[in-house]
Amino acid sequence: MADFIRNPVVALPESDPEPHFSAVELVFTDGEKDEIARRIKQYPTADGAVMWVLWLAQEKFGFLPPEVLRLVASALDLPYAQVYGVATFYTQYYKGKKGKFVLDVCTCFTCQFCGGYDMLAYLEEKLDIQRGHTTPCGTFTVQEVECLGACGSAPMLQVSNGSYVHNLTRAKVDAMLEALQQGEQLPFVSLTLPQDEDEMGGNRRTDAEASELYQTPPASRATQ
Amino acid sequence: MTKAGDWPSYQRVLLPPVRDLHRLDVYRAEGGYEALGHVLTGTSPAEVIDKLKRSGLRGRGGAGFPTGLKWSFMPPPKPGVPRYLCCNADESEPGTFKDRQLMEYNPHLIFEGILIACYAMQLTAGYLYVRGEFADWIELMEHELARAYEANLVGDNILGTGFSADIFMHKGAGAYICGEETSLMESLEGKRAYPRIKPPFPAQQGIWGYPTTINNVETLACAPLIMTRGAEWFAQTGARTHPGPVLYGISGHINRPGVYEYPTGMLITDLLEIAGGMRGGKRLKALVPGGASVPVLRADMIEGVTMDADSLREAGSMMGTAGMLFLDEDTDMVAFLRRVARFYHHESCGQCTPCREGTGWMENLITRIDDGQGNLRDLDLLLDLCDQMEGRTVCALADAAAWPVRNTIRRFREDFEKRCKPAVWAA
Ligand SMILES: Cc1cc2nc3c(=O)[nH]c(=O)nc-3n(C[C@H](O)[C@H](O)[C@H](O)COP(=O)(O)O)c2cc1C
Ligand code: SF4
Ligand code: FES
Repeated sequence: MADFIRNPVVALPESDPEPHFSAVELVFTDGEKDEIARRIKQYPTADGAVMWVLWLAQEKFGFLPPEVLRLVASALDLPYAQVYGVATFYTQYYKGKKGKFVLDVCTCFTCQFCGGYDMLAYLEEKLDIQRGHTTPCGTFTVQEVECLGACGSAPMLQVSNGSYVHNLTRAKVDAMLEALQQGEQLPFVSLTLPQDEDEMGGNRRTDAEASELYQTPPASRATQ
Repeated sequence: MTKAGDWPSYQRVLLPPVRDLHRLDVYRAEGGYEALGHVLTGTSPAEVIDKLKRSGLRGRGGAGFPTGLKWSFMPPPKPGVPRYLCCNADESEPGTFKDRQLMEYNPHLIFEGILIACYAMQLTAGYLYVRGEFADWIELMEHELARAYEANLVGDNILGTGFSADIFMHKGAGAYICGEETSLMESLEGKRAYPRIKPPFPAQQGIWGYPTTINNVETLACAPLIMTRGAEWFAQTGARTHPGPVLYGISGHINRPGVYEYPTGMLITDLLEIAGGMRGGKRLKALVPGGASVPVLRADMIEGVTMDADSLREAGSMMGTAGMLFLDEDTDMVAFLRRVARFYHHESCGQCTPCREGTGWMENLITRIDDGQGNLRDLDLLLDLCDQMEGRTVCALADAAAWPVRNTIRRFREDFEKRCKPAVWAA
C-alpha cells in the first residue's frame, strides 16, 4: 500500500501543526479589513480577492502557516481548503519561515549565460549557506528563481518579492548585503532605454530621482 | 531586405522620449486620453473594431492572433450580463521584458488601451493581471490608476459620455502558467491556476463564466495609437502582414541589451548592430528570437531574416514575444537546453500526464547528457518524447517545452553528440 498516504511528505491541510502565532496576534486591524473590503469589491465574488489577501497576510506575518491561512479563509468566508490550495500553488507565497531578506537570484537562461550562477555561487559562499536555505541568524535566505522579466539587465536578483537589483557584480552584491544589514531601503532602480543611452550617459545608470516613489523613470530628451 | 522601411528615422510611439510620461498630467499634455475622448463621443463600437481590423494589429503576447478579429468574436451584449477584459501582464516567458518597460514608462497608454477595448466590446471592466514579482510596478500603476479615477477617465460616466468601465489590478504570485489565457482566468477567480480545456473559448465562457477577451499589454497599448494615428499609419508601419511598432527585448551576450522600439520587419542583423553587436567581438552562435518557447536559430540561419511572422516562419522559428536572446560562440548549447527544460519542468502545472511527466523526463535526459553520462540514443528518445507531448495536452505549455528541445537538438546535434558516450553497438 502506498506508504506516502500514511506518512505524507507534505503536511496535509487537516493536520494541525504547532501554531506560530497566538490567537491574539491572529487578527486583521481595521485598516487591513478596509483594504480587504476594497479588494473584494473588485470582483463579483470574494474568491477573486484571495490572492490580494494572501499577499497582505504574508506582508503582515512574514509567511503563511496554516493558522494564517485559516484567518484569510475566515476573512473571505471561503473554505480553508481553497485558500490552502491557492497558497500552495504559487511560488511567491511562503509556506515556511524565511529569512528577513529573501534573495531570489534569477538563473534562467539569459541570466544563466550572463553570470547568474556565478552570482548565486558567490552568495552561497559569502553567506556560507546552500541555495534554498537561510543563514543561522535568520537574516538572509538565498533562492534560485525563474526568469524575473528583467533579462536586459542580467544577471539580476529580487529582494523579498520587492526591489530588483540589476546588472549584478560581486561588488554590487557586497554593497547590497551591506545596505540591507544596515536596514537601508533599496531604491527603485529604473534603467534607461538603451535608445536613450547617448543622451542619458549610459544605460547602466540609476536615475537618482527615481529612487523615491517611482517618480522618474528617466527619459532622454525633454518634450520636443 | 528589410521590411521595416525607413527605420533609422523611426519616431518612437509606445515609449516616446518624454520625461515623466508615466504621470497623468504629462501624459495628457502629450495628447494622452484624446483617443479615448474621440472614441467615446464620435465613434461606434463597430467602427473601433473595424479600424482595428484594418490596422492589421496582431497580438504581441506570443501567438500573434489578429486582434480585431479576436474582438469581433465577443457575443452581442445581453442586459445584466457582465463582460470582461483581461490584460495579460504576466510576462514570464524567459527572455521577455518589454511589458515591464511599458508599464514603467507609459502606464496610461495601457489604461487608455483597456478603456478603448472596453468600449469597443461593450465590457463592464478590465482586469490588469500583473505577475507578482512586479510588485514595484504594480504600486506605480495603482498610484497612476487612482489619478485616472480622480480625473474621471476611468469608472462611472467617463468624461460625462455616459460610458462606464472599471479597471482593476490583480497581483499574481509567481507561476509562469498564469500567462496562459485560461489559467489566468482561473487565477483571477481565486483558484489554483490550472488551464481549462477549450472550447468553450473565453469569448463564450471566460471569467466567472462570462464573455471575456484576453490581450497582452503591448497589444492593448497599440489601440489608442491606432485610434489617433489611423489604421493606415499602423498598417504601413513595418512588415505588411504583421505591421506596427514593436518592442524588441534584446538580451544575452550583447553590448547594449535592453528594450528597443522599432517597426516590425527589422532585419535581425540590423537589430544586432543597433544593440551594439556581440560582447567582446565574439561571433554569434545562436539566437532565440521570441522567448524561450520559440525554436532557436543557428547563426547561419539569420541572414536576411526579418522580425515578422512570415519571415521567421520561413527561417524555421517564430516571432513569439520578440524577446531576442543572442548567444555567442562560447555558449554550451547542452547547458542551455538543460536550463530551458528545467524551466518547463518547474512551471508545468501538472494537470496532464504528457506534460508533467514529459518535462521531467526531458530534464533528466538532458541533465544526463550534460553530465557526460548520456547515450547517443537518448537524443532520439528526446525527439520521440517531443512527439509524445505535442498537441496532447490541455494547454500549449507542453508544446512550448517540446519545440526548443526538438529544434536545439536538430540544429546543434553535433554539440549534443560530442557530449554523449560513444555508441556501444558501433564496435
Ligand atoms: C504557457 C503559456 C504562457 C503564456 N504566457 C504569456 C505571458 O506571459 N504574457 C502574454 O501576454 N501572453 C502569454 N501567453 C499567451 C496567452 O495565452 C494569450 O495568447 C495572449 O495573452 C493573448 O494576447 P494577444 O492576442 O494580445 O497576444 C502564454 C501562453 C502560453 C501557452
Ligand atoms: S500542458 Fe502542462 S501546463 Fe498545460 S495544463 Fe497540461 S500539465 Fe498544465
Ligand atoms: S532570465 Fe533572468 S531576468 Fe530573465
